Amino acid sequence: MKLLSLPERLGLVSYRNQAKSDIKPHIKVDTDICNSTCPHKCTTYVCPANCYTKDEQGKVHFQVEDCIECGTCMYACDQGAVSWEFPDPEIGRGVTWNYG
Amino acid sequence: MDEKFDCIIVGAGVAGLAAAMTLANNNMKFLLIEKGEFPGAKNVSGGVLWGNDLAKLVPNYWEEDAGWDRFINQRRLTFLDEQSSFSIDFKSSHFNEPPYTGVVVLRSKFDRWLADKVQEAIDKSDYAMDSFIAPNILVEEVLQEDGKVVGIRTGEDKFYADSVIIAEGVNNLLTRQVGLQDKYVPADHMLTGVKEIIRFDQDVLENRFQLNGKSGMSNEFVGFATNGVEGGGFLYTNKDTISLGLVLGLKDLREKEQKPHDILNEFKKHPAVADTIRGGEVVEYSAHIVSSGDKRVMPKQLYKAGLLVCGEAANLLMNAGKAIQGMDYAIRSGILAAETIVGAKEKEDFGELAMKAYQDTLDESYVMKDINNFQDAVHLLHDPVMTQKVPNLICDFGRNFFSIKNEPTPKSRDMLRGAIKRHASYWELIKLGAKGAKAL
Repeated sequence: MKLLSLPERLGLVSYRNQAKSDIKPHIKVDTDICNSTCPHKCTTYVCPANCYTKDEQGKVHFQVEDCIECGTCMYACDQGAVSWEFPDPEIGRGVTWNYG
Repeated sequence: MDEKFDCIIVGAGVAGLAAAMTLANNNMKFLLIEKGEFPGAKNVSGGVLWGNDLAKLVPNYWEEDAGWDRFINQRRLTFLDEQSSFSIDFKSSHFNEPPYTGVVVLRSKFDRWLADKVQEAIDKSDYAMDSFIAPNILVEEVLQEDGKVVGIRTGEDKFYADSVIIAEGVNNLLTRQVGLQDKYVPADHMLTGVKEIIRFDQDVLENRFQLNGKSGMSNEFVGFATNGVEGGGFLYTNKDTISLGLVLGLKDLREKEQKPHDILNEFKKHPAVADTIRGGEVVEYSAHIVSSGDKRVMPKQLYKAGLLVCGEAANLLMNAGKAIQGMDYAIRSGILAAETIVGAKEKEDFGELAMKAYQDTLDESYVMKDINNFQDAVHLLHDPVMTQKVPNLICDFGRNFFSIKNEPTPKSRDMLRGAIKRHASYWELIKLGAKGAKAL
């Protein structure tokens, strides 16, 4: 059986308000903390949707669009950089599972 | 919706729906709020709903070909090393008749079905026009006055009630907001679950897993499944799909610098797994946090004046080696929470002491009895000797035991001794055995 890459997997997810370009992010990340004092930058590998990435300089970037609301980063980040809320049903992103 | 409700329930997952069903059956006026597009829209589970508490909500649910996918009549526990698998397998026609030992569910379908049943109960109640299931609403705040919970706020709107039941799930922001749990919950006793739903022709699925009618099987995996990270794998048969996934210790994942989606692909490549999923088509990828069942992560208490917390918001979930139980705990705690509200309504007393009755009945129920009794088993399952060395040892022994080489065969005892020597020490196993005897 062909193994799927993460983008292929996320392509199967139904996101809410996908047509809206101007969404309200439900997670705020203070990447200054990630890029100054954080010893592990763990969100860049533990996030199951790869919302946190490291660029060539090793700097952490965050995008909320692919978030599947699992909660992992809220627990994994022990540096206080992640402020986590649930997405607004009208102007947030977040998921609607077809199977769940 | 100006007037006050008897109760507002936050979250229409299994716990919230169980509470709502109980309130409707007792003629209470309530509002059940769900942030997803419909009940189940944002819920993910493994998932097997163990036991038969579902019948407390929907008597004779087994007569309906809706909501749930398959009943479990086969259980399998598989130890993996890199190339081998060694399984303990139990199948019994004892499990073919209701009450079932467990049913496999897909939450997007199951919760929506259960919510329809709750709506039917509302329609039959005295408050058919005054109790509501309200999806698409995010509760942002639990309102408190003079130390008592009085309602909730969503955006600019406020709704008032004598009581609030929080059934918001594991990412329990409101439970933290009202001070029953710390604002930051560390990764130590949490796991990240990742899962794929893989579709087959129903015939192929039924033939491959030897299913008959609505029978199904559950398979848990320990060892190589998780690439050295503590945790395990699972495979459950749905109607025409399987749920295949992993639960991974989040602290260990962080320390070992691994990606859950990569480990899931490694798991799928294992020969024992690859052969069972051949020809399937992935139709959904999902992930969710789960708690381990370690009591240290639970809220200090599950009540306040006018407020109760149930389901996984209260971290009521446990894997003690036999099964990953959570949805059954959610049903029972939801029922007990609602019964406490019904009792409080009779006496018109929603004070802290009246709410404590919920915690007392929960402590007396199988839910807290099991969680309290099996803490050692929870710790044992996170012991690296158990999750890594034992599976390697068992598979090594199996490989030798089942190899026929046309040369003099050593006694099994000597094979076992060799396997132990290669993968662990006697001392480690004695310690583990002692822990295991105490735990189980």
